[in-house]
Amino acid sequence: MQTLLAVVVGVIYAASIYLMLRRNIVKLVIGLALFGHASNLLIFTAGGLTRGKPPLAPDGMSAPEGVVADPLPHALILTAIVIGFGVLAFALALVHRTYQMTGQDDTDQMRSAEA
Amino acid sequence: MSNLAVLPIVIPMATALACLAASKRPGAQRALSVLGASALLGATATLFARVLETGPVTLQASGWPAPWGITLAADMFGASLALAASAVFLLCVVASLAGVDRRRQAYGFHPLMHTLMMGVGGAFITGDLFNLYVWFEVMLMSSFVLVALGGERKQLEGAMKYVTLNLISSGLFLAGAGLLYGEVGTLNMADLSRKLADPQSAGLVAPAAGLFLVAFGLKAGVFPLFFWLPASYHTPPAVVSALFGGLLTKVGVFALARAMYVIFPAEVGLRGEALGWIAGLTMIVGLLGAIAQTNVRRMLSFALIGHIGYMVMGLAVGGELALAGMAFYAAQHMLVMTGLFLCVGLISMDRGTEDTRELGGLWSERPALAMVFLFLSAALAGVPPTPGFIGKLALVQGAVEHGRWGLLATLLTASVMTLYVVFRLWLEVFARPRPEEDSAAVEALPRPLPGSMWWPAVGAAALTAALALGSTWIFPLAERAAVDLLLPAAPGGYIDSVFEVAR
Amino acid sequence: MLQSVLLILGLSALAPWVHRLVGRGSGWLFGAAAAGLCGYFVSRAGLVLSGGSVEQGWTWIEALGAGISFRLDGLSLVFALLVTGVGALILVYTGAYMRDHPRLGSFYSTLLLFMASMLGLVLADNVVSLFVFWELTSVSSFLLIGFERQRESARRAAMQALLVTGLGGMALLGGLVMLAMAAGSWELREIVEAGDAVRAHPLYLPAFALVTLGAFTKSAQFPFHFWLPNAMEAPTPVSAYLHSSTMVKAGVYLLARLAPALGGTEVWLNTLAWVGGGTFVLGALLATRELEMKRILAYTTVSGLGALVMMLGIGTEEAALAMGAFLITHALYKGSLFLVAGAVDYSAGEKKVDRLGGLGRAMPLTAVFAALAALSMAGVPPMIGFIAKELVLESTLHDPGLRLGVVLAAVGAALTVTAAGIVGVGPFIGRARETPRKARDPGIAILLGPGLLAALGLLCGVAPALFTDGLVSGVASSTLGEPVSKHLHLWHGFTPALAVSAAALAAGVVLWLLATPWRRALAPIKSLARFGPERGYTAGLGVLNVTASALTEVIQNGRLRRYSAVVIVFTGILVGAALVELGALRGITGIGEVYALDAALCAMIVVGAMAATRAKGRLGAVAALGIVGYGVTVIYVLYGAPDLALTLVSVETLTVILFVLVLYHLPRFAIYTNKAARARDLVIAVVFGAIMTLVTLVAADTQIAPTISGWFVENSVPKGKGHNIVNVILVDFRALDTLGEITALSVSALGVYALLKLRPATSGGNEA
Repeated sequence: MQTLLAVVVGVIYAASIYLMLRRNIVKLVIGLALFGHASNLLIFTAGGLTRGKPPLAPDGMSAPEGVVADPLPHALILTAIVIGFGVLAFALALVHRTYQMTGQDDTDQMRSAEA
Repeated sequence: MSNLAVLPIVIPMATALACLAASKRPGAQRALSVLGASALLGATATLFARVLETGPVTLQASGWPAPWGITLAADMFGASLALAASAVFLLCVVASLAGVDRRRQAYGFHPLMHTLMMGVGGAFITGDLFNLYVWFEVMLMSSFVLVALGGERKQLEGAMKYVTLNLISSGLFLAGAGLLYGEVGTLNMADLSRKLADPQSAGLVAPAAGLFLVAFGLKAGVFPLFFWLPASYHTPPAVVSALFGGLLTKVGVFALARAMYVIFPAEVGLRGEALGWIAGLTMIVGLLGAIAQTNVRRMLSFALIGHIGYMVMGLAVGGELALAGMAFYAAQHMLVMTGLFLCVGLISMDRGTEDTRELGGLWSERPALAMVFLFLSAALAGVPPTPGFIGKLALVQGAVEHGRWGLLATLLTASVMTLYVVFRLWLEVFARPRPEEDSAAVEALPRPLPGSMWWPAVGAAALTAALALGSTWIFPLAERAAVDLLLPAAPGGYIDSVFEVAR
Repeated sequence: MLQSVLLILGLSALAPWVHRLVGRGSGWLFGAAAAGLCGYFVSRAGLVLSGGSVEQGWTWIEALGAGISFRLDGLSLVFALLVTGVGALILVYTGAYMRDHPRLGSFYSTLLLFMASMLGLVLADNVVSLFVFWELTSVSSFLLIGFERQRESARRAAMQALLVTGLGGMALLGGLVMLAMAAGSWELREIVEAGDAVRAHPLYLPAFALVTLGAFTKSAQFPFHFWLPNAMEAPTPVSAYLHSSTMVKAGVYLLARLAPALGGTEVWLNTLAWVGGGTFVLGALLATRELEMKRILAYTTVSGLGALVMMLGIGTEEAALAMGAFLITHALYKGSLFLVAGAVDYSAGEKKVDRLGGLGRAMPLTAVFAALAALSMAGVPPMIGFIAKELVLESTLHDPGLRLGVVLAAVGAALTVTAAGIVGVGPFIGRARETPRKARDPGIAILLGPGLLAALGLLCGVAPALFTDGLVSGVASSTLGEPVSKHLHLWHGFTPALAVSAAALAAGVVLWLLATPWRRALAPIKSLARFGPERGYTAGLGVLNVTASALTEVIQNGRLRRYSAVVIVFTGILVGAALVELGALRGITGIGEVYALDAALCAMIVVGAMAATRAKGRLGAVAALGIVGYGVTVIYVLYGAPDLALTLVSVETLTVILFVLVLYHLPRFAIYTNKAARARDLVIAVVFGAIMTLVTLVAADTQIAPTISGWFVENSVPKGKGHNIVNVILVDFRALDTLGEITALSVSALGVYALLKLRPATSGGNEA
């Protein structure tokens, strides 16, 4: 299964890169959002997969029984998702303002600071 | 175990919250901001003194032992950079009182400065790889906002590039951390170092090391990853440039040093050749970029990149001398860059432009500013006996010692290029008479420079001078930082301190 | 000795205030201070010249071999006397010469800074100290050449001098470090003693090349000589002091100092003798075609420095004595003549020799001093110049390896005579010419310098035993690394050298009488200058600027997608190379267990991702993004991460909403890139994706050490008091991460708020 997921990771990365290399500013941001998904899924896959055994200790027990999914990658990904959302929201606001300010959605035209 | 280690995170956070709470009362907010920055300086100074006295200071956050909890571990390298950073930070906060307009100050400028510093402080002292990612994000998020705050066209366009490229780097960092966890099963840097010490296994993590090189290299501003820096650093108010130019890239260099020396063993192979090429090209391309500019802040941004190359060269050469040179150079570079950007802020306040083609005659009109700028320029160019020279001397000796002739030649060439950049700038901005057309403006008596921006610039110069005057005592500290990096597994070294092995 | 350097540094810092306080007399005051120091060095002469030395030392940075150490031996003594003695005269001269200059205070300050640096340079025993002072002389020279900063030519000359000497300075830094490492010591005294070890060391050749490069740029040897004549943009006291007597001799000083360590080899002899000899002739030749007094003198300085370097190259005892004698001679006559040139300009307001004549009647004292100096320069007995010239000729004659050397020396000597006549005699004799101002002898402050220096030139020649012998022997001892004691004589019989000398003198005089036609004959040199080294400098700087602009335009072209592409490709190369090295694919085991549901899910995500790239409409793209997000959510559910799924589903929903809100204000997608660009980007994207797939597989299959998470599973309930282990990690075990996460999120909220609310003040009052 991890082979399959690794391929999925690769496909999402590829799609994300392709979108980031567009001049359209919205495609760029969609690419950034996909980039986050890819990285998170990569952590998930690289950390080892355990199907259907969430890391929960049943009530009254001091630890889960048997093998459960590794909880640490979950915690990391959760943190990364929230931070990633923050950045993405800011990026979207930035896109919005930049378009308002410049009337452009083409990043190639956003070069006034580098003339 | 000492709670001191958490102060570089807690103090800025508390200050940010206090500033946010006081956002309706600008006077109180400014006072709190300066107070918080001063407290931070006091705290990092205390932490530094403790490290000086007893070696690395460690704190297991919430009391969970390493490697399971998050360990904060301030070694000599981290503590001294944290100290230099908070000195620079205080200067910038004071400078912002006059250097940043009231509207920006009303829209969260002060809280953002402090959250930025929280990220910087966290990055310097954390001993956990993923936690480092989190502090990087705190720092970056704050810097994103600071770059864009004010919403001018150039700022927004610069911010777009800044955000995109740094987001890619963060994603790669995350991927690298995930891979490393998948392979080694731990995130604690000291634990990683221990578990990767076996050369057999080290090779397996080389791809992850590559990802870290890109992630940290981008933040440090090395070739060919630096594009975001000259695209954005000159767009926000000069005080923001001063803070960024002083601090942010050095955090990248710091993380690169940690990764390449503490986490990954030498066998991973990225230390030598690859890093050497990156260092050399960064120097040359950065300084060529500086030569091509007419906007003073953009020129300084490119020069900054070039000198990041010096620090990366220290990492590429390795050994005690070169690494000590790298650490010393990094600390002085913080002060010099901040000072120079503040001076440019003063110039642009005075003249309303920062284009060399429109400037001139400042030596006659602002002799004191001219002298401060000249001194800082000389320091940037590494003219002896400024601390820039001392760092460079150590790098030269390291390169000769290790027979890195190509890098040596590049460093010396880059030095001459820097000489050209800074003294040409000096001639154009200060020595040359003002361009004719606005000679009418000369008639008007110059307004006094705002003290709260002027004195921080003087302060940066004074601290730079102090670094040179005190180099007899300060350079050995850089050597200690180098030893910490080189021999993390030595008794009483970084790893022992993280696991609190009794000495 | 440290005290003397610090004293002048202190004086330099205070100079503007002292000048303001004292007013007109400040030049005398500063001069007296320098003279006092000169007196100190004179008082040490007895000790030093009898073979002793004065030493002082402190550690600066131990690990770098840096110390602050000084040592006064014969060579240093002569230089220290020049620096302080000539310096004193220059300071007095300045007080009168630049009397009305509005920035005289800061001029003194810079001049004194130079004096301190130069004194430190010649006294330093530690290599690092020496380099520090070396660079400081370059910087103070930069400031002094560009002192008349309103003139573009002055600024350009300052930059040129700084770059040429700065280039040499960096070479020197590398060379000195190599030298110190080869010798195993950072103290010059010990390096010199370790001469044999140095010469046998593999670093000898690069160290020699780099040190020599540094010395040649500083001492204006061909092909780096061009900055010196241009440095005449500086006020005359600077030309007299830095650019003839002291700073430009720093290179010679360094070579002399290191001669016992670096010298005596084939490469040393050939390089120094030929470059020095060539510069000797070339400088003198170029001097004779100039018209402006200071430029003539500048070229003869180049020539004189060449002679000194040549002597160092030959390296015999005779040559060392010649070097010492000529060093003193040159400082005396050249300092004197520069000051005379300044006096003429000051008094008559004219600088060009072809517009000057008959000044002797109006300026008798000046004329006498000029004549004395010119005689010494021409090497006419009984001036010290004669002794020096004889020694130079003798040493070239006696050197078997250098047959051509004597020819060079003779030609150089003859041309020097011509130049001496043109600049030191011509203006004062013959028909009186109209000058912008009415010429008369200037006051004592201006005449003291040239008078004293010219008189010393005579005294040293007439009575060499008085102190010339001692000083010259002292220099020779340091240069040879062994004690030398020699008496010099004006007359030493009819020797071949004397014949050559006489012939050179005669030829030089004839040429002087034919100066004007000679100058005309030399006119074609001007067109040769097109290929000259200065042209090289200008072209080099031009190429540098053009390259910088062109390269920067390509690299930093403002196009974000190019930046991203470079970053991605670079990452791909680094990571891909690591994978190849690893032979990564070998380790990958089979595809493992695959459930139909999972496979379908994966297919859905893949389709979603591909749809996002191909979507024509904005909403379609966002919907595709949503498909990927929700697909990943389900995977999290299936693989035991309900918390993640819960978070992601809410975040994904918010993201889609935000996208839709923003897209509402944005235009439809336009196609900006062409097919080729899209194909290229596709390749980049696919290759990068493949690399990341492989990396993920390698990581999933590799386990170097067992994971630490067993501890979390075991301790979550007993220590963390929570049954959801992920939650316990987030809020307890790794609470610091969560703290940072919340901070980042809050900052983002603040940022979005500020972005939407805070508009630039200029864009109008639509702040709502």
